Amino acid sequence: MIAWAGDEPVRGIPETAGPAEAARGGRGRRRPVLVVDDDRSILETVSQILRADGYDVLRATSGREALAHLDRVEPSAVLLDMRMPDVDGWAVARAIAARGRRVPVIVMTAAANARHWAEEIDATAFLAKPFDIDELLTVVERHTRPLA
Amino acid sequence: MTALELIAAATQAVYLAIFVLVVRKVIRRPTVAHVDMALFLGAITVAFVRTRLTGWFGLPDLRIVGIVVTSLIVAMPYLLLRLYDDFSHVPERLRRAAQLGLLVSVLLIAAFDPAPLWASLTLVAYFAVVSSYASLLFLRRARLAQGVTRRRMEAIAAGGGLLAAAIVTAGLGLTLPPDLRGITSGLTQLLALLSGLAFYVGFAPPAILRRAWQEPELRAFLARAAELPRLPTTAEIVAALEEGAGKTVGASARIGLFSGHGTLRYQRPGEAEPIERPSDAYIAGRAFTEQRTVFTAQPAEDDREHAREYAEAGVGAVIATPIVAGTERLGVLTVYAERSPIFAESDMELTRLLAEQAAVILESRALIDEAARVRAQEEATRLKEDFLSAAAHDLKTPLTTLVAQAQFLERKAERDPKAPVDREGLARIVREAKRLTDLVLELLDAARAEQGRLVGDREPVDLVELAREIAERQTEAARIVVEAVAPVIGQYDRHRIAQVIQNLVENALKYGGRTGTITVRVGQNDGEARLSVADQGIGIPPEDLPHIFERFRRGGNVDSRRFTGMGLGLYIVRGIVEQHGGRISVESAPGKGSTFHVALPALDGRMDG
Repeated sequence: MIAWAGDEPVRGIPETAGPAEAARGGRGRRRPVLVVDDDRSILETVSQILRADGYDVLRATSGREALAHLDRVEPSAVLLDMRMPDVDGWAVARAIAARGRRVPVIVMTAAANARHWAEEIDATAFLAKPFDIDELLTVVERHTRPLA
Repeated sequence: MTALELIAAATQAVYLAIFVLVVRKVIRRPTVAHVDMALFLGAITVAFVRTRLTGWFGLPDLRIVGIVVTSLIVAMPYLLLRLYDDFSHVPERLRRAAQLGLLVSVLLIAAFDPAPLWASLTLVAYFAVVSSYASLLFLRRARLAQGVTRRRMEAIAAGGGLLAAAIVTAGLGLTLPPDLRGITSGLTQLLALLSGLAFYVGFAPPAILRRAWQEPELRAFLARAAELPRLPTTAEIVAALEEGAGKTVGASARIGLFSGHGTLRYQRPGEAEPIERPSDAYIAGRAFTEQRTVFTAQPAEDDREHAREYAEAGVGAVIATPIVAGTERLGVLTVYAERSPIFAESDMELTRLLAEQAAVILESRALIDEAARVRAQEEATRLKEDFLSAAAHDLKTPLTTLVAQAQFLERKAERDPKAPVDREGLARIVREAKRLTDLVLELLDAARAEQGRLVGDREPVDLVELAREIAERQTEAARIVVEAVAPVIGQYDRHRIAQVIQNLVENALKYGGRTGTITVRVGQNDGEARLSVADQGIGIPPEDLPHIFERFRRGGNVDSRRFTGMGLGLYIVRGIVEQHGGRISVESAPGKGSTFHVALPALDGRMDG
């Protein structure tokens, strides 16, 4: 379901618990969403929006940090920036594949060929920057699965 | 028959044969050179025939016949000079001396019977001097000639030398006892034979020999043909073609290229200005306009308008042939020589062949140029597209935060109008909006840099003062040292020069390590203002150094998807410096930091001056 869909009644400030979490209620906690972007402003903004919607968020400002997180936890999805210095989105995607993980990967990029790049790394979905807040939440909602 | 007699007989037979061949040439193509050749060989041949006739048939040795034959023999040096003159210019003085000598000789022959030794020796000396002098003259000319003509001139020089030797031997024979004269007379005949052969080869070379001489030159020319279109400039290609054509024909060659607006353009590499001539003037113009090969042995008469120029340049024969690629008229190949006998009939055909080769080579060049132009255009388009996509990428990054953050705040406010203001979120919006503004301004500056419109009004600016102001403004001002001894003043756009210093200092702070000192030096040298910014950071990788001031810092081996950021800062800095008439450079070594050097025109440092 889409949180904060335009014509829905106001449901309160999602600082601690969003409607998505409310909806999940009895199905237990979801695993966190890993957000990877070397632009701190985007990283902060996206994390804030997802948290407000009830997601647990892990943040990484580089591919290297992302891999460190991936060593420790299995996120429900990875929001992945592609162009990053050093370890980039492609490298992170390769590492995920190499570890035999089946984590949904959502590509976030400002490049014109976002779709092409998403296909290149066999991503689950893509978000072309700048994206609408609804787009972000819809895509994340669709591709994060609750724990079995 | 003794061996000597055998040699004498053989010599005479060969001479006779050559004489017959030359006479045949005269009948076929009665040129001055051929006639003179026939006269020259005829003189000796008549002498031989006379000796044979009196010897075999016991004809009376008439005094008058003796005088005529001997006179013909002593006329040889003069005939030789005439031959030389058919081939190349012979000094007037030499010709007059030979004529005088001939007159004196004939008088001597007529006056005495038999001639006393001194008279004979005088004749011999005169003969030897004239022919060896002419021989030397030709040897020198040969050095300047090339190909076939060079060999012909060398042969002629050899012929002259051999003839002089033959005469000297004959003269020597006169002073020897009669029983030894047989030897000298044999030697004389042998030398005369060799000289006859040399003259034949030089003055009237058979077509086979001519072709044999031309072939290696033509081969060498054709072998080079494939690489000629790749020479750096058209002028160099033309020069190489001229040299090859000249060597092959054995003359001088020039190529005029059709300019497209009614002129033929002649240019040598290194010459600043080409010579332009109307495309219908001169013999070359005639060949070009009529699109056919033109030969003339009297250019001064065929083109009276330019008669003087041909005479002054010593041009006595011209072959001009158009250079055509398909239907496109590219120009004219002109081969010219001092005298017409330098050319043979086959040279017209040869010149046409060379012109065809020239057309192929010039056409290849045009195609190579066209391909390079298309490639450059494609590259420019690709760079522009890359730039646009990089610019779009960089603009979208702050926009992403702006859009999402603003929407987020809006929704929060809609849901709870009384909630406290999210200052952090607002600050983020302001910061990203500012970043977006900077990017847009940077893009505009880059566009101005490209159009050369970066610099506005100029005023006297003290670089030292400006550098200090900027250093103090920085948040890490303590790390910056400005070194200067006196004001350095120039006429600059204050705002733009400040931008240069600001950018270099910011870069130094950013890449200069966290603690190292940034040194800004300002001084004056040779009427130039010098400013340098040095850091103690990690330095710039050597492979990036050459491209650091380019709009795209991107090597061909860099994966396009890794290419981020417009990196326009230093490109704009370079634009500002260069549009002030200055220059910028950088020196850097990994681990040793980088130093940027800026040189700008300065006013005289003394303000009172």
